[in-house]
Amino acid sequence: MIDLELLLDIAKKDLLDLWMAKTLVFMLVLMPLLLIGMFGYMYPPSPSPNPNTNNLGSVYPNLPVCLVMMDNGQVAKDFANQFIQVSTEQKLFTVSEAASFQEARNMLVEGKLKGIVVFPQGFSAAIASKTPATVEVTVDQSNPTIASIVQSEIAGVFNILNSEMSAQNISAIDGGQWDPAFLTQPVSIINEPLITGAASSFQFLAPGFVALTVVTGSLIGVATSISKEKEAGTMDGLLVAPVSNISIVAGKVIAQTVRGMIQGFITLGLAILVFGVRIYGSPIVMVVVMFLGTASFVGIGIVLSAIAPDQETANVMASLLQFPMMFLCGIMFPIEQLPGWMQVIGRALPLYYAADALRKVVILNAGMNLIMPDILILIGYAAATMVLALPLFDKAMRK
Amino acid sequence: MTDAVDTFDLTRRFGDFIAVDKVNLQVRQGEIYGLLGPNGAGKSTTIRMLSTILKPTSGTARVAGFDLDGEANEVKKRIGLVSEKLILYTRLTATQNLTFFGRLYKVEPSALKKRIEELLAIVKLTEFKDKPIGSYSSGMRQRVNIIRALLHDPEIIFLDEPTIALDPQSTRFIWDLVKDLRSRGRTIILTTHLMEEADELSNRVCIIDRGKVMAADTPRALKDRFHTESMLDVFLNVTGREMRDSTSEHLSMRGVMAEA
Repeated sequence: MIDLELLLDIAKKDLLDLWMAKTLVFMLVLMPLLLIGMFGYMYPPSPSPNPNTNNLGSVYPNLPVCLVMMDNGQVAKDFANQFIQVSTEQKLFTVSEAASFQEARNMLVEGKLKGIVVFPQGFSAAIASKTPATVEVTVDQSNPTIASIVQSEIAGVFNILNSEMSAQNISAIDGGQWDPAFLTQPVSIINEPLITGAASSFQFLAPGFVALTVVTGSLIGVATSISKEKEAGTMDGLLVAPVSNISIVAGKVIAQTVRGMIQGFITLGLAILVFGVRIYGSPIVMVVVMFLGTASFVGIGIVLSAIAPDQETANVMASLLQFPMMFLCGIMFPIEQLPGWMQVIGRALPLYYAADALRKVVILNAGMNLIMPDILILIGYAAATMVLALPLFDKAMRK
Repeated sequence: MTDAVDTFDLTRRFGDFIAVDKVNLQVRQGEIYGLLGPNGAGKSTTIRMLSTILKPTSGTARVAGFDLDGEANEVKKRIGLVSEKLILYTRLTATQNLTFFGRLYKVEPSALKKRIEELLAIVKLTEFKDKPIGSYSSGMRQRVNIIRALLHDPEIIFLDEPTIALDPQSTRFIWDLVKDLRSRGRTIILTTHLMEEADELSNRVCIIDRGKVMAADTPRALKDRFHTESMLDVFLNVTGREMRDSTSEHLSMRGVMAEA
């Protein structure tokens, strides 16, 4: 049956063979770096500081916004000054001023501005006569993401200014009998997070990418390494030696698991160091999940290598499997966004459970007991696919 | 003395195609046995079955005194295979390759190291032992490939076209190596398309065609039977002059890629 010594010899040989292919090793390191790098910048971090570097990680900080003062009254000027002060303090906007809306509009079209705030004529008069005043906001609609951020951030600044003004007005009216906060907002919400700090989109993405890298690294690795030996003829050297099939397969699996895990750790390291992803859970539980994620795909890798007539086809088949899994298994976005039938497919694939478990460990500090359903599904998947794969391996290799 | 290889109606089918058809061979210990035949005759399939890689559809064989069925592991310990394709990892050095394959046979580490050094010296590759196989010439590769099959000092060595596409110097070197193995009591089963090679090396030859044994005897007896001094004439008399064209696609459809 399994001979541990031979299995490790085969794993060692496979890793040595991989290590000698320097260009391939370079590409294998580059792949997770590119993946995490590209997506890291595509999904910006939350406005909380990076816990590792303490740098402010605001979403699009200091966007250029321009004020147009159509009203020259003191109240409008005071409001404008307060707007500038709050925006600058919170690093939301870099505020400039334009003489006319037309001038500001041209600057926005040219891309020099992301938003315009106009204080229209009659603003000061309205406030002075105790009637609601308006400001007009124009944003760069050619970029909907930034437009919506600018809009909500301008609204946020005016909320602060409105609250301050309401509080002053209420104290003036009732002479301190009522709490102004109670009159403007009788019920407020306090968020009680499970973890400290805000979870950015990237905090969601990073564990998914780690799971994807580990799983597909070993899937493609196993499929390629077996079919390569079959095609080159070196598999005959293993088959003719007194080594059991299961030792050959296990040796290859160990080697490719190590390869997948190394790629996973590179992805994770970059997510932590550059993109401020924080690990709240136990690293040991993480490694267990990564290992089981790999194990759940090894059988599929062996099946592919048995079906594929050559290494190139095996490689393409494995990559073909990898691509839809990125979308179906909740790696890029929550699976709930997909139509029902696609969710069923996604939930039928082990990557979904590996990513789900890893995310719970990384973000929510889940222990083994809380991710046990995911763990059991991964173990079940690994066992079932191996039972299917081993006889197929034997048949394919001895054809 | 028991035969080194004894087959009993050894048969292998790939779908409807019969690659090896009730072949009965007896190879004596310590002889070089030439297995000759046109392309697709069933030589490689026979060798793959005898070396435990391929399971026979029916019939069986005893190799080194052990049954292919049920005692395959004992057979494996006693045979060495040099197949048509190079069984070496081209990115690894000769030493790395030989160490890996030696360990598969559980050769004790210090003995393995000594054995590798001896064998590399025999094939005159000691100075290149730490260079990757990919940088070797085809003659050098084949010399390493042959000693790879000898690491565990097997009783029986299968050589499937060992001198194919080699220059005359390398061919002569390998012939001498094979003769030396015989002189040390090893049994060698050799397939080849080179009639000169079969004549020079083999104690006995067996000509197979379309999966069946057509003739088996010493080269001298076969030449006498067909009144010729040329093994090529013997071969063409036995197998005919018609060309055996078949594409690899054709063969793979029949599931006999190994024969291509």
